[in-house]
Amino acid sequence: MTGLLSRRRLLGTALAAASGAALAGCADDRPAGGRTAVRFLGPETADTFRPVIRGFERAHPDLRVEYTPVPPAQLNDVLQLRLSANDTAIDVYCVDQPRVPALTARGFLTDLRAVDRRTRAAVSQEQYGISTWENVLRCLPVWTSTQYLFYNADLLKKAGVTAPGADPADRWSWEHILQIGRRTMERSGADYALLIEQTDAYYGIQPLAESLGGGSGITGDDMLTPAVTTHGWIAAMTWYGKLFADGLSPRGVSSFEMASLFTAGRAPFFVGGPWNLGAFASLKAFSWGTAPQPKFAQGRAVTPTDSWSWGINPYSNRADAALRFMEYASLTTEGSLATIAASPLIPSHRGAFDRYAADLDRNATRSTQGVAAIMRHELAETAVSRPRSIGYTQFETVMGSAFSDIRNGSPAEARLAKASAELVRTWERLR
Amino acid sequence: MKTEPPTRRRPVGPSQGRLALYFLAPALLALVLLRLLPALMALISSLRHHSLTDGVTRFVGLANYADLWADPQFWQSTRVTLLFSLVINPLQVLLALGLAVLFNRRFAGARFWRSLVFAPIAVPPAVSAVIWGILYRPEGPLNAFLGALGIPAQPFLTSPEQALYALIVLMSWVGVGYWMTFLIAGLQDIPQEVYDAAGMDGANAWQRFVHITLPLLRRPLSFVLVAATVSNFLVFAPVQLLTGGGPDGSTNLMMHDVFRRAYSVGDIHYAQAEVVVLVAVTLAVVAVQYRLMQGKGEE
Repeated sequence: MTGLLSRRRLLGTALAAASGAALAGCADDRPAGGRTAVRFLGPETADTFRPVIRGFERAHPDLRVEYTPVPPAQLNDVLQLRLSANDTAIDVYCVDQPRVPALTARGFLTDLRAVDRRTRAAVSQEQYGISTWENVLRCLPVWTSTQYLFYNADLLKKAGVTAPGADPADRWSWEHILQIGRRTMERSGADYALLIEQTDAYYGIQPLAESLGGGSGITGDDMLTPAVTTHGWIAAMTWYGKLFADGLSPRGVSSFEMASLFTAGRAPFFVGGPWNLGAFASLKAFSWGTAPQPKFAQGRAVTPTDSWSWGINPYSNRADAALRFMEYASLTTEGSLATIAASPLIPSHRGAFDRYAADLDRNATRSTQGVAAIMRHELAETAVSRPRSIGYTQFETVMGSAFSDIRNGSPAEARLAKASAELVRTWERLR
Repeated sequence: MKTEPPTRRRPVGPSQGRLALYFLAPALLALVLLRLLPALMALISSLRHHSLTDGVTRFVGLANYADLWADPQFWQSTRVTLLFSLVINPLQVLLALGLAVLFNRRFAGARFWRSLVFAPIAVPPAVSAVIWGILYRPEGPLNAFLGALGIPAQPFLTSPEQALYALIVLMSWVGVGYWMTFLIAGLQDIPQEVYDAAGMDGANAWQRFVHITLPLLRRPLSFVLVAATVSNFLVFAPVQLLTGGGPDGSTNLMMHDVFRRAYSVGDIHYAQAEVVVLVAVTLAVVAVQYRLMQGKGEE
């Protein structure tokens, strides 16, 4: 009996010790180094955020940042999965700006009214507005965006074609791009005429429909009524489907592979974001140029905009530290510039934006001549934000599938009607 | 005549029952925590609805199931899943059986080839999907091979007619070697004397296979069929990574549809209702399979 008791006692002591150690491990909020860690989740590579993290850690020796990259296409699913499970292991996360209303409605964003005045003063008016919902600041804007038309100068020269100019007043049309693209394919041996980086993504497709007057695709007082079967949408999506059916753009190639197809000389034209400027500039043997994004001949010039804000997880137990990190990246010139040190995105911060634009002008090469002017013009005149709706998450998912199907050969009108019906059903369930 | 005293059987006391319970407790606890509780939570969740407009979660009874019943996307997903199962399960079992019979023979390099066939199961599903994604690319190695044979390039994953079958090939590449190992174990359990006796009776190879191998392999075959069926009902990673359920919903297997509703669309309660339906369908199919296999076994 004594032996049994002693074994039990021994077992109990061991279990208690193990449990205690485990619980102590869970409860320890501060790492061994004594610096509180801000856990940060986003879609960019670790290299992109390394400068801003280093800058922040230098300025705040009591804090450090642990960054977890998630594949961009999976970020929103991962956030939905983890935040709906009240996950406390995320403090700061990247917020796709059109999703601010939806994330707010789900209770996934912390109220940031405490820094409202400072934010309003530090960032552009558009970027402040996109980071609010129902007049409450929900996240801090970090980047905005636009798109450019990039061209392969060597291929166009080989085809005997004059390259497009950088002046927005001389903006080429999509029809003209395809005509020149076909000619270049015939004369230079290029495989495709045009590559659209954000293929199958609403960000890349919205300007096509908006250019033809199709609207954003969402309407109604509560912005929960689909409007994707308008004439403009059908015409734009018919053009989009034909682009792939005619072999002018490749099927079965993901968005992330488009840039490498372009730099490999497989197509003369590529429509993509500002982050490509740095990547293309690093390729010494690649001869390229930049022009404004095309529009339809009978349509108006429309370019996509907005990018990423950063928000605080309401379940985080390190909200103060998280806010300090976000303030550094969004509300200080130094921090904002650090966010674009490794990847040339457009900063939301006013001071950083001016420095960014001045640097673009000062460091312009033949390839980037006029880029700063294009950027300023597009952001001021042609930029159209994605629709603001608590149903945007569902909208983007449903429309992404529709774009993909149309690209693979589904008739545009029927597929848009199917998407519209799916949106009606989906949004009805959210009411 | 001496009568032996009746042997005294040691009574099974409560202490032995308690001991048995102690031994079973970890397994029972795991069963409750990891299986029954999540299933119960899914069932309860499937009876609720969260409104994004007022932020309130309400009990809605069977309304989510009624919505599923009226949802064409759910029915398309169900049709795709059943077609996928009808093709892939017999295909995998037949291929696994053929390979098991082949590799159960003694020939030079048999073990090496067997290992090669088994190897894909050691590759994580996401990596397998990436490998096959490259193979299936419009300008990928498979089309290059077809081109060398004078066959035109195929669209594979971008075609509504081919994408599901492309996934079936991928999943069979992964699964067949695994199922084969169970059947090889079953084949090695069949006594050689039975084959020798049949040989003496003049049975040819086909007759030995049909009248000896298949009947004596029934148990491992039924296990493989049931396990493959369950496994194939839960295919997710290749769909998510390669097709996203498209083109035109042609690869939208139920597991992917559940994920899409839960995390891309964000309608978790609706997704839970579909989970309950998926589990019910899987259990029904497996029950039918068991019944059929048991019926054969009693003959």
